[in-house]
Amino acid sequence: MEIVVTNESDIFVFAIRGRLDAVTVPELEERINQWFEQSGTKLVFDLDGLDYISSAGLRVFLTTAKKMKARDGKLCMARLRDNVKDVFTISGFIALIPAFETLGAAQDALQ
Amino acid sequence: MSMLIKQMPGRVESLHELLTFIRTEANKKGFSEDALNRIELVAEEALVNVFVHGHAGNPGQVEVRCLISDNPSLTVEIHDKGVSFDPLSLPDPDVETELSKRKIGGMGVFLIRKMTDGVSYRREGDNNILTMTFLNR
Repeated sequence: MEIVVTNESDIFVFAIRGRLDAVTVPELEERINQWFEQSGTKLVFDLDGLDYISSAGLRVFLTTAKKMKARDGKLCMARLRDNVKDVFTISGFIALIPAFETLGAAQDALQ
Repeated sequence: MSMLIKQMPGRVESLHELLTFIRTEANKKGFSEDALNRIELVAEEALVNVFVHGHAGNPGQVEVRCLISDNPSLTVEIHDKGVSFDPLSLPDPDVETELSKRKIGGMGVFLIRKMTDGVSYRREGDNNILTMTFLNR
């Protein structure tokens, strides 16, 4: 897994590539916990390069969504591949975190 | 009945090698890429359950068995000698509830139920055995 964090003004983008599973998830958790030490309130998960997600990955998305809500922030996702989208749909998580077809649309939603 | 067996320590470091083993067997049966992804996901959820529940603080061995047959479907068994634990006894999570009430517990088993064509648990001696079947459509 590879995580690249970028920001345009106050919108932060986590581009997550590869596999998000029980082995790799601690790395994402650590990066997100670091990010939460700052006061940011706008976050996008760009999943264009994400091949695979399991419930271990969903767990991090859920805790992130809860923390964002607690600080009155906004979280969304962009560019989910079909198999990743399936997991979000079946688990019902698709209703918890807004998902967009393009990164631009996700960023617009956070403006 | 013949089967291919792979045994490894029941801890997360074994996950990728066990998943590759299962995916390779599924691939031989000609499952689609979509189906292979689902099989891999379900296998991860079942294995991680064993790593977490079965051997808290004392990792034993976990054994994956892929049944060999001319049947195009895939049957995978996961054996472990951990504490007696039937993952299918967990209630389904409420997948329609709002964010603040949403919990992650039980999601792995929920995905197993949704993405297999058959799943069953049995205790044989000191073994937990989870059997999962995937039809090749």
